[in-house]
Amino acid sequence: MRIFGPNELLEDVVKKDLCIGCGACIYLCPYFRSYMGKTAMLFPCTLTEGRCWAYCPKTEVDLDDLSKRFFDRPYDGDPLGFHGSVKISRAGSKFGTGSFQAGGTVSALMSFALNKGYIDAAVLTDRDGILPVPRLVTDPDDVLRCSCSKYTASPTLSALNQAIKEGYNHIGVVATPCQGLAIAKMRSNPTRIDDFTDPVGLVVGLFCTWALDFRAFDAFISERIDVDKITKVNIPPPPAEIMEIYTTDGKQEIPLDEIRKLVPDTCSYCIDMTSEFSDISVGVLEGRPDMNTIIVRTKRGQDIVDEAEKEGFLVLDDIPEENLEHLMWAANNKKKRALIKAEEDGLINTNQEDKRSYLRLNPEALKNIVA
Amino acid sequence: MSYLIDNNEGARYLLMGNESIVRGALEAGVKVAAGYPGTPSSEIIESLSKVGKEMDIYVEWSVNEKVAMEVAAAGSFAGLRSLCAMKQNGVNVASDFLLHLAGSGTRAGMVIVPCDDPGALSSVNEGESRYFARLVEIPLLEPGDFQEAKDMAKWAFELSEELRQIVMLRSVTRMSHASGNVVFGKLPVSDVHAEFKCDGFVLDPMEGIMTSAPVDYRHTQQQEKLNKAREIFEDCPFNTYDGPDSPELLIITSSACTLYSREAISILGLKDRVGLLKLGTTWPLPPKLLKKYLSMTDRIMIVEEVLPFLEENVKILAAEMAPEIGVKTFYGKNDGKIPMVGELNPDIVVNAIAQTLGIDYKAMPDEYANKAQGVAMAGTPSRELTFCPGCPHRASFWSIHNALELDGRKGFVCGDIGCYTLAILPCGFSSLKTTHSMGSGTGIASGFGKLGGFGFDQPILSVCGDSTFFHTGISALVNAVHHSSNFTMVILDNSGTAMTGFQPHPGLKVNALGDEVPSIDIEEVCRALGARVEVRDPFDLEETRKTINQLIEDKQGVNVLILRQICALSPEKKGKKKYEMTIDEEICLGENCGCNRVCTRIFRCPGLVWDKEKEVTRIDEVICTGCGVCADICPAGAIKKSSVLKEVA
Ligand SMILES: Cc1cc2nc3c(=O)[nH]c(=O)nc-3n(C[C@H](O)[C@H](O)[C@H](O)COP(=O)(O)OP(=O)(O)OC[C@H]3O[C@@H](n4cnc5c(N)ncnc54)[C@H](O)[C@@H]3O)c2cc1C
Ligand code: SF4
Ligand code: SF4
Ligand code: SF4
Ligand code: SF4
Repeated sequence: MRIFGPNELLEDVVKKDLCIGCGACIYLCPYFRSYMGKTAMLFPCTLTEGRCWAYCPKTEVDLDDLSKRFFDRPYDGDPLGFHGSVKISRAGSKFGTGSFQAGGTVSALMSFALNKGYIDAAVLTDRDGILPVPRLVTDPDDVLRCSCSKYTASPTLSALNQAIKEGYNHIGVVATPCQGLAIAKMRSNPTRIDDFTDPVGLVVGLFCTWALDFRAFDAFISERIDVDKITKVNIPPPPAEIMEIYTTDGKQEIPLDEIRKLVPDTCSYCIDMTSEFSDISVGVLEGRPDMNTIIVRTKRGQDIVDEAEKEGFLVLDDIPEENLEHLMWAANNKKKRALIKAEEDGLINTNQEDKRSYLRLNPEALKNIVA
Repeated sequence: MSYLIDNNEGARYLLMGNESIVRGALEAGVKVAAGYPGTPSSEIIESLSKVGKEMDIYVEWSVNEKVAMEVAAAGSFAGLRSLCAMKQNGVNVASDFLLHLAGSGTRAGMVIVPCDDPGALSSVNEGESRYFARLVEIPLLEPGDFQEAKDMAKWAFELSEELRQIVMLRSVTRMSHASGNVVFGKLPVSDVHAEFKCDGFVLDPMEGIMTSAPVDYRHTQQQEKLNKAREIFEDCPFNTYDGPDSPELLIITSSACTLYSREAISILGLKDRVGLLKLGTTWPLPPKLLKKYLSMTDRIMIVEEVLPFLEENVKILAAEMAPEIGVKTFYGKNDGKIPMVGELNPDIVVNAIAQTLGIDYKAMPDEYANKAQGVAMAGTPSRELTFCPGCPHRASFWSIHNALELDGRKGFVCGDIGCYTLAILPCGFSSLKTTHSMGSGTGIASGFGKLGGFGFDQPILSVCGDSTFFHTGISALVNAVHHSSNFTMVILDNSGTAMTGFQPHPGLKVNALGDEVPSIDIEEVCRALGARVEVRDPFDLEETRKTINQLIEDKQGVNVLILRQICALSPEKKGKKKYEMTIDEEICLGENCGCNRVCTRIFRCPGLVWDKEKEVTRIDEVICTGCGVCADICPAGAIKKSSVLKEVA
């Protein structure tokens, strides 16, 4: 696949409002920076091939290529992506208690991986008020400080780029699906850097239907709630249809309909609900706010999960059939909607030389999903 | 002792035009001098300030041109000969007072010296001061060479005293800044006593009150003064004619154009065919004198720079005299022979004359012109206008630019006049989106900041230098605070009027004469006005950027950010490096992804040089001032700074 540069990144992504602000292009160089949830290019860059374009999850992605690279098979459109076991889980007693979004599976896994030396640093997402703040953590005890979901898009991967600059080479990342896609692109060394070695030791992906635009959410919420008093934000599984905002003064509920207006358009082009390019993916479990759904995709993911369970960091159980069915239905729905939209916009498998696609995938998989 | 106060009559010196004017003023016994710095006028007050103590002259750099003229007027009212100097657009600033002063008249000789800048060599306008003389009805003199600059300056005081009216002595860049031989006259022995007499009959010009009212009475008097000037000018030795009795073409000119015209006539060898009437008194024109010369021929060319001031005035007279002198054909601005924009030079005049007389002559043959152009392109390095190495403005605009880009709401900067005007160019990251007159950036920002009700939501910044702050920035700030405008004013405080040569201003503890004076604290002033004030060092890029982002997010009121760092050329800093800079060539990324030469492609301090062969950046140690800023912009950490240890005595 041909690699382009920053000008095409501006053209394909930033100018089309497709940027989700994942941070993959931040700190690679002096030009791209993130501020208050928005990615800005400070000065023009004249290079025709750049890592910024190559790593961005919203520039052309060849799903077959990536799938082959990480899972040894072409992309088949499975609603949950390539995967091994799907279970339910929560943090084990060995990890201790804390404030988690759900079962604390993510925090327990990251803390365990740091403890055991599977990873030498963890890229997590902290917050300042409601602003998500990328954080590089090396002390397992600091993992808890970054627990809980920040429902706005976060430039988390800027901390990954900084970690690489600082020389870490077994980095663990907790990533949303788009961030996970960027990590996968980066790990496949698209710009063919000579002495490239994969610096990522573990990717724990989060499930995601959408994330909010920070500036829009900030303006919306500041009018209603004292942002400094917010302790946690939660979106309980359907059919609740609300966003719960916990503050030091109590809980407030906002109808999801109002919140959905703050979702950037780019999320509606996203085909991935379960972070398909991670080692382990984690989401909530309907009906059980204290538990997670967990999907294991790679061998190293499986090893860590097994060991964490053995050592009491993680408690696993089988997933109820109806939960799994509903998960697959929801994940497939997201794919279908996004692909239909992208296809309508002429962004899938374009064959003209000079026109870049948004996604490339084999026509069979495409047909399976859209059918 | 300065040569300017050499008291040997007949002594000969090579003087800059501005110095000649100063010598003339000294010979006239000037006692009060005030001005505001501005190229090409600055050397006048500067030279006077250097001899002020010895010659017992009060000299000051005033906050602005209007106040300078007022200070000088006080001298005249109190019986002291006085002078005020400024660049062309300074006259606009002073013009409100000038109008009223022309109405009230003056007492001891008072001269205003505006120095115009045709071609805008160091201005952002080609403003004309000559029209002000006509507009406010005062006499206008224009020296045509360096000796005349001195002699005319001296005479201007006498004329002013005779008329009891302020006299304008107008210079231009090529007169002020070029040099020629000047023979000195005597310096007077001064023994003056200052007193403002105001107890006499109210209308008495020497003992009454100084005012332009009652207007009909004073205005009538003013015109009588002008009539008197007209008469005096009829026999003035500064109006000269050179040429045959019946020339084919009569050139009428003044000021530096006299030199161009004389040279053009001589190049073309037309001494016997073309006459040159050089006028030193260009407003009001002496009609009898003009009648005499206009009668010599039917073809008249007027050679002057920028607007057709002389041309219009001559044409009016010629129209009135037509029944006696006949109908004339005029060449000049209106027929396009002489351009209305930019400076003139001998070549332009040569071409104009040759065309008019149908002579086949090109001042510069095409072949030669092409060749010269080629050599110039190949031989000289392309030099764009830029800030000096180590200039604090580069760092300030870096942070301003980055803050606005990060903010992403299409914010912009309104600027005004100072070195920082360059920020309209890439050297200031093209941050300035408006620049007009002194202090106007803040006034414009004050206006933009009130447009919220119409949906305006772009962040607004203004920039203003420390000297400009006192000049007119402060009144714009008062306006903005009072009207609850919403923007951030950035005061680029480099501790001096850097652009024109570090003249002192009210923020400093020293005045033009070198005396210690109370300084005015910009920070305290802004705070007292009710603005939120922050002070940062622009060399701390990240802190400055963060502060700007915070300030532009503030949706209420006026914020002031003072970015304080001494100018790289200031006498205090010059030659003293804070850091020794080196580049680690192993680390330098150069044109690769990850940098793409941000230092030499974007930041572009002249101290950084791109080594094309090695594909790494180098430090030019000769011009690097060791400010250390570039170390913080290098993404790879290739630019290293190490503190220069203080020498141990
Ligand atoms: C924007 C967003 C949308 C989501 N949407 C869904 C959904 O539709 N369905 C579903 O089942 N689950 C969704 N999740 C995942 C869910 O909210 C929990 O994060 C997940 O179940 C893990 O729970 P936990 O208790 O193990 O997490 P914790 O142990 O509390 O750890 C949470 C981890 O998430 C990371 N994190 C927080 N915010 C972000 C962010 N903005 N970007 C990247 N990393 C972040 C933190 O670094 C932390 O490590 C979403 C999460 C996010 C951030
Ligand atoms: S890499 Fe991420 S932050 Fe950068 S342009 Fe792409 S989506 Fe936006
Ligand atoms: S090509 Fe490289 S240097 Fe240029 S903007 Fe992209 S990441 Fe930065
Ligand atoms: S900014 Fe640093 S890495 Fe880039 S070219 Fe300059 S010295 Fe080299
Ligand atoms: S230290 Fe760097 S920025 Fe400062 S003058 Fe030297 S080269 Fe220029």
